[in-house]
Order: sequence, then structure tokens, then C-alpha cells
Amino acid sequence: MRACAYILVASLTMLVVALSVYDETGEQERADLTYANPSGIHTLDPARMSWTQDLRIALNIWEGLTTYDPVTLEPIAGVALHPPAVSDDGLVYTFTIRDEARWSNGDPVTAADFVRGWRRGMEPGTATDYAFLFTDHIQGADKYVRWRRAGVAALTALSRLRDGWGIDGEDVEALKRHPIWSEIPGQSELELDRQRVADRLASLDVDWAPLYDRVFHNHVEQLDATFNDVGMKAPSPKTLVVTLTSPCAYFPDLTAFPTLSPSHESIGRLRERHNGAPITAEGLVVYDPQWTKPDYHHNGYPGLITNGPYRLARWRFKRRARLEVNPFFHAADSIACRTVDMVVYQDLNAAIMAYEAGDLDFLPAMDVSYDHEIARLAATGERPDFHACTLLATYFLNFNCVSETVNGKVNPFTDPRVRKAFALAVDKEAIVNRLLKRGDRVAGSFVPPGVIAGYSPPEGVACDIAEARRLLAEANHPDGDGLPAIELLHTPRDGWICQAMARMWEESLGVEIDLTSKETKTFGEDKANRRYMIARANWYADYNDPTTFLNCLVTGNGNNDSGYSNPRYDALLAKADKTTDPKERFRLLARAERILVEDDLPILVLLHYTTPIAIKPYVSGLSPNPRLLFPFRYVSVTP
Amino acid sequence: MIRLIARRLILGLVTLACVYTLTFLMVITVPGNPFRQSERNMPPEAERALRVRYSMDNNWKYFFQFLGGAVALDFGPAFTYNDWTCNQIIAEALPVSAAIGFLAILIAVLVGVPAGVISAVRRNSWVDVSVLGLVLLGISLPTFVTGTALLIVFAVCFHLAPIGGWGTFAHLPLPAITLSLPFIAYIARLTRAGMLDVLSSDFIRTARAKGASHRRVVWKHALKVAFLPVLSFLGPATAQAMTGSFVVEKVFGIPGLGQHFVNAALNLDPGLIMSTVLVFSALLIALNLFVDVLYAWVDPRISEAL
Repeated sequence: MRACAYILVASLTMLVVALSVYDETGEQERADLTYANPSGIHTLDPARMSWTQDLRIALNIWEGLTTYDPVTLEPIAGVALHPPAVSDDGLVYTFTIRDEARWSNGDPVTAADFVRGWRRGMEPGTATDYAFLFTDHIQGADKYVRWRRAGVAALTALSRLRDGWGIDGEDVEALKRHPIWSEIPGQSELELDRQRVADRLASLDVDWAPLYDRVFHNHVEQLDATFNDVGMKAPSPKTLVVTLTSPCAYFPDLTAFPTLSPSHESIGRLRERHNGAPITAEGLVVYDPQWTKPDYHHNGYPGLITNGPYRLARWRFKRRARLEVNPFFHAADSIACRTVDMVVYQDLNAAIMAYEAGDLDFLPAMDVSYDHEIARLAATGERPDFHACTLLATYFLNFNCVSETVNGKVNPFTDPRVRKAFALAVDKEAIVNRLLKRGDRVAGSFVPPGVIAGYSPPEGVACDIAEARRLLAEANHPDGDGLPAIELLHTPRDGWICQAMARMWEESLGVEIDLTSKETKTFGEDKANRRYMIARANWYADYNDPTTFLNCLVTGNGNNDSGYSNPRYDALLAKADKTTDPKERFRLLARAERILVEDDLPILVLLHYTTPIAIKPYVSGLSPNPRLLFPFRYVSVTP
Repeated sequence: MIRLIARRLILGLVTLACVYTLTFLMVITVPGNPFRQSERNMPPEAERALRVRYSMDNNWKYFFQFLGGAVALDFGPAFTYNDWTCNQIIAEALPVSAAIGFLAILIAVLVGVPAGVISAVRRNSWVDVSVLGLVLLGISLPTFVTGTALLIVFAVCFHLAPIGGWGTFAHLPLPAITLSLPFIAYIARLTRAGMLDVLSSDFIRTARAKGASHRRVVWKHALKVAFLPVLSFLGPATAQAMTGSFVVEKVFGIPGLGQHFVNAALNLDPGLIMSTVLVFSALLIALNLFVDVLYAWVDPRISEAL
């Protein structure tokens, strides 16, 4: 009896363990190329993704109108023939889709697939970080998105009123901006502040449902008609005509970016509907987020269909993803690397050990605590398989240029002289070469020099403590007199750098620095609400043009965290936007950048990142590049 | 017995409700914005609409909405990982953690109990001292040290195990051993203390006087009583081991549940935070109940006391 119980327990244990360990991918033969990914995939929806590791997979399973050259990253022919036909004024691009372009189920790729995919990229609900790629560049897109957002805001407010949850001041603002405001009961008497209006509306004994329904139906009715004004048209299945807001020399570069991927029609099966309309009750465009899975078959959905060199064969959450060559891809036969495995290693130390043991062929990230040692091995050539990538990315500090006070203290950085004094007092050389020792480049400009062909950024300011002290005295703060304790906001990762800078400022300017470290989420909130005097920041280029950096500091830009505003700067960028001659355009952009890094200093640029990657010597076709984009279709592995 | 189980089940539900309420309060009071999952800023209209969509525009609404989902075992979407629901994430991760945890507890019992018994029987001998020393080491060495050491020795130097990852049986022993070390230490100590207590009691003397062999006295008569404190420790310990350890998972690259406890909080992913906490609590309550039932089975007097 007792023996039976023991055997039962033991066999149950074995069963539980066996069932949970067993994982087909573990038993499968090794892929041609195996690489590590530190945090797993956040999303595979190209309209929503923004993480480098997600973009890396997207680039290999989707193909845009153009795609990147594996060495130079210049745009080359993708789904469309290259170069596209461009009108004389540089505004109208006509792309011709190649006949052999196919989805991974064999369907031909059409221009309508691109319109569908791009529209997802800008619709409220699916649009995220990269919606600006459409609204900034494509004619009518901004207007359409603003109309949609106004509709969404009004529907949200009305649905809250209808459901009796009450509304707040922001809902009132939304309703006021919407044409429906004139029909809101009793609105003409409402001259109160917005919170009292909100309370008043919520207390009205009105049935809001008819009003809501009317707004909803009007919005749905106008949906496609309004979208018709957006400059993306598919006059024939193989022709896509895109009209831009201004001549954009780098547009063929943008069309290679995963956000501008096409989208297969089958995704329509997973679109959420409300009363038969293709939007939710709040007016959002929402798809069942599981559409990115190869084995998801709800409502007859065939599973993820993509059009790139590879298709997603399997995806286990936080474990691994396997890519296989898409048999319908136009150059499928020329791809030597037939399978790729992405394996998740949460700890990069473990990934490096696995690489050393031969379990991994490629490490696209190696930021560990001993990265200076890795950088040294790469620089001296002791490890020829370690490569230093000079990134198109800048580490900098934001000065709060607008807030009069921060946390109750007077903010001195509204004065450009104080900002410049702080910038001049930093010995960047010491931080980059003696503290970090990762092989980063000392930055003078916001745009990293030598990466974007034809663009030479300004020199910036060098360390000059005497001049810094003079400027501080000129701003009525000799030796830091009258300055409050300066709040320097950073995340735990930046501790070293910020402590070093605080020390430099304290020693050379006589100011007191208050270092505040906050975890990333709280940091983000404080930064967005400008509850800081100085805050760390970084920026990674989205496309190969100086404006990917410089646009951040245009008045009112969503990423202008310092609140900087200079009409002269804005005017130079606007003028460059209208200029078709590339040389003249770069000259104007460099002039604008000079204002940033030599005159006004809303930001203190510190360094341009260099990051090491590791590629086994038997892998060829992966070239270290400044945007860490790696198309695997050119890879070949010789064991 | 049935009354005992019924009462404990009801108590467990009340406990779960309290845990849920407390977690919910913490989730809504911590600073930060769950809709900001990247460095860039989201258009405010879309954010407000999403809040309404997920019932997060009103705390009461959200409280009952999530509660309703949880009762139906549907924890809704995960904000950090758009393409997966909380249910899928837990379904992927919990069995992994459970396998390692189960094995770790098994190892801990198989090693810890004999070690405790031997050191109690040979009290103050070199065996006792070395067991106590190892126990101290096991309790004080953090798992990221022992795990990394095991990894370097067995995987990097001798190639006896793969370096991290998951999917084959070879991936199992190192993390299970690492996770079991503190439990071994604890169980050995509990067993030793219990045995020392029992060995000096009257019924042991009677057993010896009756002529039972030394082995029989120690391993059957004494251990049966001395094992009770270990048994009550095993309930929460198993729950803890099975829901995953962030450190062990990180060191060995295991796709378990422990990472989601920590990362969900760091990423401020409300659904994932509450669902992982609820799963952990439910497991803890269930295993405690299981242990209590075992207890009552081992010693019928206890069921009356409970």
C-alpha cells in the first residue's frame, strides 16, 4: 500500500516534469543561424513596434517597397522596383510593385496591401511611436489623423456620459472641439471652468445614447471618404502613388522601415467591430492582437502571413522564435541561410557564455558590466569576432528650457547663458575615455558625424571652464551664487555618468547638484511633465537623415522634452524641408544644428554610442552597421 | 475532514479577495503611466480612449471588471507584450517554473531530511558540524552566486550541461539544484531540531527498550514525528519554488513565471501584476490546504484542532 503511494507520487512528479520540459523546438535540429535576444519580443505588429530587437525580426519577415542594402543601408529595390518615379517637384512618388512579389501563402502583394498596412500605422488604436512617419511626410495624413483623434475623443466622452460614469475636464475640452458641442443640451449657458462643466453635464437628466449614436454613425460614414484625401492611392493592383507634404530626399529610406510594411487582407477577419462598423465604441481601430502568431486561427484566420524573405514558423513566448525561408519570396532560391533561431537570454552574461561555448552564432548586443573589456578586445583585434558598431545614436542631457520653477525652486536653465556655462564645464573626454572606456565617441554635435553621407555637423563647444565661469557670472550667478540646488534626474543605469558630471559642475562652477535617480517609468512621467532641471536622454536615429535628430527640438514636437523653442531654428528646418537641392538642404540643416549645439544649448550632447557585437568567424554576410539592422537573407554559414 | 476542507476553502477565497484588493490599491497608487510602454509620448486622445476601453478610466469600474475576469479565469491583455494575453503568459511560464520548483523541492527533501537526521543522531560529531556548516552556507549564499558557480563549473568548464535556455531535459538539473540549495538547508535544520527533540522523548526510550533496532527507531518512530514541522514548511516552500525565482530564471535563461513578477511591476503592467500575484496566492493557499489535509491524515488529533 505504502509502496504504491510512493510509486504514484514519483511517477506523477516525472509526468509533470516531463510534460513541462518537453518543447519541440528544443529537439529540433539547430538552425543555420542562432542569435540571442536579451528581452524577448515585445510585439511583432509592425505598426506598433519600436524596440530594436522587434524591428530586427520585422525586417526579415516583412519587406517594404524598398529594403536596406546589407552593407551601406542605402535603400534598394524591395517589393517595388527601384528607383520609384518621382514628379519634378519631388512630391509625388509612383511605386511599381514587382510581379513576382508574393505573400507567404502565395498571394500576390498589391498596392492595396500597402495602403492597408500604412493606414494601420496611423489609425488611433493601432498607431504608436512611429505614426509620425506618416503624419509628417504624407499629404493629408496629419489632417486625417487629427480628425480621427477629435472623433475618438468626442466618442470617448459621450460614451462615458451615456454609461453614467461621469466625465472630466479633458472630456469637456474634447466635446468643445467637436462640432457636436452646439447640440449638447444647455451648452450655451455653460461659461464655467471645465471641471464644473463636466460635473454639470454628468448631472443632467438626459439620455445621451441618441447623441452618441448619431456622432458614431456620422464618424463611421465619413471614415473612408475622409481617408480618401490622404496621399496614398492604389490606382491599379501594382501601382502605389504617394503624395508627400514636401520634397523628402530620404523617403525611399523610410519605405524600408518596418512601420511601412504592407498588411495581408486576412487581418480583416480579426478586426474588432461595434454595431457592424469597423471601429470600437470609442472610435478606435483595434485588431485582435494575436494576429501576429503563426498558429492563431480564430474566426477562420489563417495565421500570420508575411511577405519578407522569411516567415515566422514558430514563436514561443520568451523562449525562442524560428524563422524559415518564405518559399514564395522573389529571391528565395538565393538565400543560403534557410532557418534562423532567435533565442531569449534574459541575462546577457549567460548569452555571452553561450556564445563562447558555441551555442550562439551571433550576438547583436553585449552591454554588460564588463563592456569596456569587450570594447578593448574588439579594438586591439585580440578578438577578431568582436566588432565595434558606431551607432547613429547620441547620449545627451535635456535642460528644462521653459518651466519657471521646478518642484518649487527657480529653474535657472531658462537662461541660455546658464545652459552654455554648464555645457562648457563638462570634460566629456574624461567621461568617455576614462570613466566608460567603451570606445564611444565624444560628441560635439547632436547628429553623429561621419555616418550620414554628405552631412557634416557643426563642431559644438569644447570644455572651457574659464569661459563657463565667465558666462555664469554674466548671468548674475558668479561662483554659483543665487543658484538653487540643481536637480539632475536620471535612471539607475546612468548613475556613473551623472555622478561624474555633478562632480565636475560642483568643482568648476561652485554649484550644488541634487542627483535624483528614478526607475524608468517614473522617470518617463517626470520627464514628460518637465519635473526636472536637467534630465538624461538618448536618441536613436529612425532613418538615415539629420532631421531624425533635429526634428526633436522643433517647437511643439512630441519628443521635444526640453521645451525648447526658437523661431529661427524652426524656420531653418522648415526652409530645408522645402529645399530639393541636397547640398543646400544639408547646409541649412547644419546651420540649424549650430544654433542647438553652439548658441542656445537646450541639450548637452555627451557622446555618440559605439556598441560591440559578436559574429562567429564562420558566419559571413552580417556587417556591423550604425543602425544595427541585420537582413539575414545575405548570410551564409560555413561550418 | 470535509468540514475542514470546506472551511479552509472559504477562508482561502476571503484571503484571495484581500490579496486582490491590496494589490489593486498598490497598482493604482504607484506613480507612472501603464499606457506609456516606450520612451515616446502617446497622443492623449488615444490614451483616454484606451483607458475607457479597458475600463481604466474609473477605479471602481476597473476593480470589478478585473475581478469579474479573474473569477472567470480570464485576466485580460498584457500591456507590455501586446500580442499575448495574461492567461497565455501564465500558461507558458507556470509549467516551467512548476517543473523546476517541484524537482527542487524533491531534491531538497531527499537530501535535507537524511542530512538532518544523521546530524541529529551523531550530534556534535564531525558529521554534525559539517552538515551545520553546509547548511549555513546554503542559507547565506545567494542563488545568483551558487547558480553562476554551478554554470561555470558544469556548463562552461566540463560541458556537462547546456548554458541556460529551456527545451530539453539537460536544461533541468542545474537550475533545480540551485533552487533547492536554500530549501535543503532549511529542511536539514528543521529535521535536525525536530529529531533532537523527539529522540529524547519517552516513546523512543520505550521503543529502544522493546528491542527495536537503532535504524528502525530513528528512521521510523522518530522521523515520523520529527517530520511534521518539515511538512508544514513544505506547503509554502513548494508554492514559492513552483512560482519561479527571478534570480534563478535570469541566471539560467529560463522562461518561467518569476521574471513576470518583477518585470510586470517594473513595466507597470496592471493586468500582469495582478494575475501573477493572484496565481501565486492561489497556489500558496491550495498547497497549504493540501499540507493541512496531509497533516490531519498523518495525525488525526490535528483535524480536531484545526
